[in-house]
Amino acid sequence: MTPSPSRSLSRRHFALALPAALLATGCAAPHRGTGRPGDPVVLTLLSHYASGELKKALQGPVDEWNALHDRVKVQTKAVEFTDLLTTFMVRQAAGQGTDILHPYCLWNGQLVRAGVLRPAPPEHAEEIGRGYGTAAVGSASVEGRVYGYPTEMQTYALYYNRRLLREAGVEGPPRTWRELEDTAYRTLRRDRYGNTLVQGFGLSTFDDSTTVGQTLALLSAAGGRFVSADGRSTAIDSPAGRAVLDLERRLVDKGASAPGVNVYQAFASGQVAMVISAGWWTANLKALMGTAYREVGVAPVPLPEADGRRATLSTGFMLGVNTASRHPREAWEFLRWLNSEKVRGATRMSAVQASVGSLTGRADDMRTLLGAGGDPNLHPFLDALAYAVPEPNTPGAQQAKSLLRKNIEALWTGQQSVDEALRSTRRQVDQEVSRSW
Amino acid sequence: MVNATLAPEPTERAAPDTSAAVGIRVRARHRRRQAVVAYLFLAPTLLFYAVFLVLPLGFAVLLSTSRWAGFDLGDIHPVGLDNFAGLFADGSTFLAPILTNTLLFALGTLVLALAGSVLVATCIDKLRFQGLWRTLYFLPIVTTVVAVGNVWKYMYQPGGLVNGVLNAVGLGSVAFLQDPDTALPSVVVVQAWASVGSAILVLTAGLKSIPESYYEAAALDGAGPGTVFWRITLPLLRPSLLFVCVTQFLTGLQSFALIIVMTKGGPGDATNVAALEMYRQAFSYGDWGAASAAAFVLFAVVLAVTLVQLWLFRRKGEDA
Repeated sequence: MTPSPSRSLSRRHFALALPAALLATGCAAPHRGTGRPGDPVVLTLLSHYASGELKKALQGPVDEWNALHDRVKVQTKAVEFTDLLTTFMVRQAAGQGTDILHPYCLWNGQLVRAGVLRPAPPEHAEEIGRGYGTAAVGSASVEGRVYGYPTEMQTYALYYNRRLLREAGVEGPPRTWRELEDTAYRTLRRDRYGNTLVQGFGLSTFDDSTTVGQTLALLSAAGGRFVSADGRSTAIDSPAGRAVLDLERRLVDKGASAPGVNVYQAFASGQVAMVISAGWWTANLKALMGTAYREVGVAPVPLPEADGRRATLSTGFMLGVNTASRHPREAWEFLRWLNSEKVRGATRMSAVQASVGSLTGRADDMRTLLGAGGDPNLHPFLDALAYAVPEPNTPGAQQAKSLLRKNIEALWTGQQSVDEALRSTRRQVDQEVSRSW
Repeated sequence: MVNATLAPEPTERAAPDTSAAVGIRVRARHRRRQAVVAYLFLAPTLLFYAVFLVLPLGFAVLLSTSRWAGFDLGDIHPVGLDNFAGLFADGSTFLAPILTNTLLFALGTLVLALAGSVLVATCIDKLRFQGLWRTLYFLPIVTTVVAVGNVWKYMYQPGGLVNGVLNAVGLGSVAFLQDPDTALPSVVVVQAWASVGSAILVLTAGLKSIPESYYEAAALDGAGPGTVFWRITLPLLRPSLLFVCVTQFLTGLQSFALIIVMTKGGPGDATNVAALEMYRQAFSYGDWGAASAAAFVLFAVVLAVTLVQLWLFRRKGEDA
């Protein structure tokens, strides 16, 4: 039996088609540039600036860089914030990690542990240490080593509705916890069925960041901290932690706070008198509230006692370079140009952040940019850059934050007492942050 | 001499043997070629299963006994059964409340959806415009979970529709999704509502397959509607009920999209389920080992529950 010509032909075709297909697949891989003369290096940057305004704000300086530089070009990629960490993981595991990453600083420990972030070269680390506030540098560092240029910085302060406070006979924003509680009870309004019409003090359960952020801002104001300085154990089971949880529990028990209601919508609708939140919210409130925004005021986070030392929480993002990048020198140079070189008194990144109503960790830049008629509500956030405490970013920080949120919610809903919540948080978080990776 | 006399004989017998052997070899070669061709035809399917089933399954087994942060494939460290031990360690929330919530969520959804769909399918079977009714009840299935979850979330809010109705009849408001005692049942109701359409579709088809002669005989014997339902309709619906039971329960055990939209697993861990926890462990916390171990525990639960369901129905003489 001799093989038919057609069969041998098809085998030959198959043998030819397979490498051709593989070659075609290889050719379809993303072009990343080689740096040879005539073939510019193409740096890729992955961020969460995916929406219109943010995307446009970042694209401006990137276009400027591309117009000024022939040898190194930058290409931006963006995904929604909720997909950012997952995208880092998937691309990195697939060998498609971008040269420049824009992570939330909470993940830095996780990313450093996984070998994704490259430490900043000494000259850049020095420049970062010199140019940014302590909280910003702390956010961009892991175990004392700087891993990138801090970009968007958020500090927490107290938002209040002037009209609701006025109607309750309260003159100004509270400065102490006693005043905070008193104002919360005085502004509370309910209908005859017990539905809350106006919450005195909004406690958000929207997500990990908002739920934990407000609690950690109060904890910082009370002089406490979530995890120990070395990041190996929790420190919330302390007098300061107990005082914060006691305060929140009292506000819930007395009805001044109704966790579960979307505080971010309710405040904008005039149904919440006070909320502790980050600076990014001002831009959202302006868009949502229109002319009613003039009733919104911002004040520093109240302290347990009037003579206490100011403190609050800060969170942030940074731009770092991937260990897998083939062009780290060029990537760091671009980051220096974007984040350190000043144009008209401020860096390009500061101008980007200011244009979308946000802040960077460069207080001098922000004062220059906000000085000329900016939103006065941003000033308390700017002032807070000087005394804010950075969010812990040790490996396991994201899970520790989720565990804290669960325990806070369990406290607010009466599933746990203050003691139980503190004990449970300590046990669960200690177990997580002390794991050897 | 003997050898010389006998010598040609094997040669004479060898001729047919040789041709038979050649025939066997040809047939064998032909079979081999057929097998090769068959495998070539099967190759795309086998490749598909290898890439999308065997490979991920093997990778999941590896990860469940390793520690991996999800970034670098060269950074997978074997840890034995530590991930499984961690799930059931003292203080772990996986067994209670997470796995308990998963079973309650699936069971609650199954009971509500099954009861509702049997009732509605029986009613539809007696109505005109059956296609229209089936389509109406099927609408939640074609609606995105995000939309369903958000609409119900607003309805459950203290000032929402459900509380509005309660207030209208003189009752106080209930914090459905904020109270840990009511959060899980509230989500179960929505999941059951959203999945009742597909069950109705299956059950109405099952009802159509019941011969009319049984009902005529029952009517002649003077059986009432209750007797007809319990003694004829329900027993003869058993194959459809088995299908609905198995599929609804499996869906319930693996669902988490609705929970993410409505409660994000809260308050606390009140509505946290295994699939949501796995998702968070892997994609938020970068602990793929714990996530994979949890996946295998959930797989064992799903398998056990399915086998029990099949055994229960087979005892009554039904095949899946």
